[in-house]
Amino acid sequence: MSKLGNIPVQAKSEKKRTNPLARVFDELIQFCQSRSMFMLHYCTGCGAIELPPAMTSRFDMERLGIQPMVTPRQADILLVTGYVSVKTLKRVILTYEQMQSPKYVIGICSCTVNGGMYWQSYATAKVLNEYLPVDVYIAGCMPRPEAVIMGLRRLMSNIENGKGNAWKDYYERYDYYLGNQQHLFGDDWQTPVDVIGEAKFYDLEGEETYGEHTRTLEQHQEPLEAAVMRVKL
Amino acid sequence: MNCDEINVWLDTLLEEINEIKVTRKSDRRVRVDVDASSLPALLELLKGKASYVHLSAISCVDWPDDEEFELVYHCWSYEAKSLLSAHTRIPRNSSEEFARYVSVYDIYKPAGFFERDIYEMFGIYFESSPFMEKFILTEWNGPPPMRKDFDAEAYVNETFNWAEYNPDWLQEITEEGGGIAIRPEDVRL
Ligand code: SF4
Repeated sequence: MSKLGNIPVQAKSEKKRTNPLARVFDELIQFCQSRSMFMLHYCTGCGAIELPPAMTSRFDMERLGIQPMVTPRQADILLVTGYVSVKTLKRVILTYEQMQSPKYVIGICSCTVNGGMYWQSYATAKVLNEYLPVDVYIAGCMPRPEAVIMGLRRLMSNIENGKGNAWKDYYERYDYYLGNQQHLFGDDWQTPVDVIGEAKFYDLEGEETYGEHTRTLEQHQEPLEAAVMRVKL
Repeated sequence: MNCDEINVWLDTLLEEINEIKVTRKSDRRVRVDVDASSLPALLELLKGKASYVHLSAISCVDWPDDEEFELVYHCWSYEAKSLLSAHTRIPRNSSEEFARYVSVYDIYKPAGFFERDIYEMFGIYFESSPFMEKFILTEWNGPPPMRKDFDAEAYVNETFNWAEYNPDWLQEITEEGGGIAIRPEDVRL
C-alpha cells in the first residue's frame, strides 16, 4: 500500500491483470480517448494568434473532437504556443502538474523547439522538453492553422496507437526534469504537487525518478498547507 | 491662445534658462538637452506653467564609451499638441553596483513605474522613488540585462542547452554545401 499525501492508495501492481480478456477493450479505449480531447492553450507567445482560426469556423478544430477547456484540471492537452520566458515556464510547469493523467503537451512554434528567434535572449527558456515531456512539436514561425491541425492529428494517431506516452516519462525520469527546473529556478524550487506520490500512484516509479535533484528538493521542501479562506468585513 | 502661440511662447521661455539647448525639430516636436541638476526644475516648469501634463515614458540609453547613461523624459501637452523630449546625461558609475539619479515621482506620478523598470533593466537607482523592488524580472538575479556590457549570448550559451536536430535529409544537403551549417567566418569565439 503506498500513499498519496496521507491517503493510502492501492498501487496497480498489487492487482495484476491476469485475465486474458482484460486488454480486449484497450484499443477501443485508446480510440475513444483520442477522439475526445480537451485542450488548454497556454498562450505564451505570438504563435497563439494562429489558434483562433484553427479553433473557429474556418478550420474548425471541433470536428476532430478537440475543444478548448478553461481549467487545467479537466484538460488533456497542454498547448504551449510560442516562446516561454523563464518566468512563464514556472507557471507552465505549475499548470502541467495540475493536469490529470494521461496528459499531453504540444509545443507550437520554433521558439519552443530551440529558442527560435529569441535564441539569444537571456529571458527565454530554449528547449521545452528539458522541462516538460513534449509529445509533439509543431515547428514554424508561426505554424499555420493547417500545421497546427496536422500536429493535433499526429497526436491523435499517437494516442490511438498507444504511443502517446510522454507523460509517463515525467514520472519515470522526474529527477532529470526536476534538475533542469532547479537549474533555472534555484535549489528551493518546489511545486504544490507531490509528483513522486503520483508516480507511486500510477505505478511509474523508475530508477530515474529519484536522484540528487529529488534529494535537493527534499532538503528545501516546505510542507504544503491548505489556503485559509477569510472573509473581510 | 491657440497652440502655435503657446509653442512660440514656450521657445522664448526656454531660452531664458541657463545650460539648456533647445532644438525645435518641427512644429510639434522639441528636443531639450539639459544638465542633470536642472532637469527636475525644467519638468516642474513644464508641467506647472506650460501645460506639459503627461509624462508618457522615460527612456534610457547606455553609452558605455562615454561612461554615461542618457535619460529621456517624453512629455506631452494636449494644449500645445506637441511632444517635448528632455535629454539628460548622468555618470554611469561602472565601478559601483548602480548609478544614481533623483526621482521625478513628486512631479509626475507615472514616473514611479518607469523608474522601477529602468532600475531593473539598467541599474539606475532613483532616489526617493517609492517602489524600487523587482518588477518584471522577478526570477532574475544577474546584472541589469539591458546594459550594453552584459553579454546575453555568452549568458545564454552558459545557461541553456540546444536541441540537436540533424536528420538525414539535412545531412545530405549539408554535404552538398547547403543547409544550415555555420560558415567559418560566422563562428563566434
Ligand atoms: S516561433 Fe515565431 S511566431 Fe512562434 S513564438 Fe517564436 S517568434 Fe513568435
